[in-house]
Amino acid sequence: MVDGCSNSQTTSKLYAEFDGIELDSGVFLGPLTVAYETYGRLSASRDNAVLVLHALSGDAHAAGISENGRPGWWDGMIGPGKGIDTNRYFVICSNCLGGCKGTTGPTSINPATSKPYGRSFPRITITDMVNVQVKLIDRLGIESLHSVVGGSMGGMQSLDWASRYPDRVKSAIVIAATARLSPQGIAFNWVGRNAIYSDPIGACGLPEVNSDSVRMGRGLAVARMIGHITYLSEEIMERKFGRKLTLKDMDGTTYSLGENEIGGGEFEVESYLQHQGAKFMERFDEDSYITITKAIDYFDLESQYGDLISAFKSVNAKMLVLSFTSDWLYPTSMSLAIVRSLQALKKDVSFVELDMPYGHDSFLIPAAMPKLTRIMRGFLNGVKHSS
Amino acid sequence: MSNTVVEIRTPFHEFEAGFNVIIELITPGTRVLDLGCGTGTLLSRLRDEKDVEGCGVEVDQEKVIRSIERGIRVMTLDLDQGLEGFPDLSYEYVVLSRTLQQLMNPEALVKEMLRVGSKSIITFPNFGHWKLMFEYVVSGRTPISGTHPHPWYNTPDIHRLTIEDFRSFVRQIGAKIEKEIFILNDRPRKEMFWPNRRAEWGCCLISAY
Repeated sequence: MVDGCSNSQTTSKLYAEFDGIELDSGVFLGPLTVAYETYGRLSASRDNAVLVLHALSGDAHAAGISENGRPGWWDGMIGPGKGIDTNRYFVICSNCLGGCKGTTGPTSINPATSKPYGRSFPRITITDMVNVQVKLIDRLGIESLHSVVGGSMGGMQSLDWASRYPDRVKSAIVIAATARLSPQGIAFNWVGRNAIYSDPIGACGLPEVNSDSVRMGRGLAVARMIGHITYLSEEIMERKFGRKLTLKDMDGTTYSLGENEIGGGEFEVESYLQHQGAKFMERFDEDSYITITKAIDYFDLESQYGDLISAFKSVNAKMLVLSFTSDWLYPTSMSLAIVRSLQALKKDVSFVELDMPYGHDSFLIPAAMPKLTRIMRGFLNGVKHSS
Repeated sequence: MSNTVVEIRTPFHEFEAGFNVIIELITPGTRVLDLGCGTGTLLSRLRDEKDVEGCGVEVDQEKVIRSIERGIRVMTLDLDQGLEGFPDLSYEYVVLSRTLQQLMNPEALVKEMLRVGSKSIITFPNFGHWKLMFEYVVSGRTPISGTHPHPWYNTPDIHRLTIEDFRSFVRQIGAKIEKEIFILNDRPRKEMFWPNRRAEWGCCLISAY
């Protein structure tokens, strides 16, 4: 029995070590470390595991409070009595391949050079990320998952799991995702990467190192700002910031919102983006950003299988596809493309479009949790085991 | 002068009489698509009582969430957009309960139902009922009743049709009525004298020729 931490609030990161993995491209990548966290308890029959899949900037720390006091990225959803109830389910979340939060990625040491891979990290795909998760699930001794749940890039992984491992997933939840990234999405990622490419090469430090003293460029921050614009909606920007200016002291210094630094932004929306960019500089690695956004860009089940019907032919899982009305990055039409292909194959698919103003990031917003919680709990509860 | 307060009566609580009629028409173990499934009441009864594999379509977000909570398979779709994506003859039954009179284009949807299902079951409030007609003629105003509970200026029931209207509509789209059941005072009847004037609800099982 694998012990989680359903009762204690603090969580700790676990690591699984593997010799390596053969990537989609044929390149062998090894050794391979996977950072993960678990919450709740694995049942004696090992049939209550739920794999949670993070988005671009997420990590293994999905729930609870980390050792340094940070709440998990989906703490509102995962925990005792929550939407993904850790009193019932054994929840696993791992940092994706290519990430910078413990799983092998560009910041890891390349055994061939004894230096970090950096920009020489091999090209990876969403499929590679899933294959690494499969290794972890095997290591944990879990044959079949009660569910795989992911939003955005996590939703792409969820789709990949359901298509390629039909006998290992009882259900799959695909939130604000797409079966193929739109050219618009690729364009935004390209601009983000370009901001990073404009930095002086080698200027960047490892994420552990206090970034601003080492980094000369702010490309990653700019990339994050562009990302954040695409994750929000016009409506929520109007509601949250409007045209308000950041508050200034008598002497003219900014005293709330923003970075309290030169270039902190005059409009509130500017200082919000500035703040998001600066925070991201401290916690993320630019080469990881490049690696992961490329994997997202190349995700295209249509071209991979010929069409979506072929991609989903072997799906056995009970599927739930969720979209948000205000998500213009991964709009409802993309979720419907997934749904209609599954319908054509007479698969068990539910589709929920939620009318929420928060944009692509709706699934992470606390205000969205009450509705999402009811949906998660209800859907997961309806997943039957026929062993 | 005090304003007239228009009492808005809710139609038929959970429409139990109508649901009973629909459930009786459905063969056990079949696939049923329920259009405008609400909170999933009919589908959960069909699942429990008839071992039916059901799917609901509902546009109201709160009702969709309720359906998911009850373990009902559901799609957030607007019926006025048709049934794109549902393969031909993929369900034994397609049900449209208490919703026909609320559609922008009933003809388009009923044709879609006949495409997607082998049989379609449609229930609707009968505007031909003598009391409604009487009130219409005598008071000269749009009547409000248990079957038509909303005032004209704020109602989802944008069509007011009679049982005779429905019969000729089915003929017109080239389909046939296989069974008719009429509901009066919550009691279903297979035979009724002058149903167009006496039934409160019509329930028809129709199929394509």
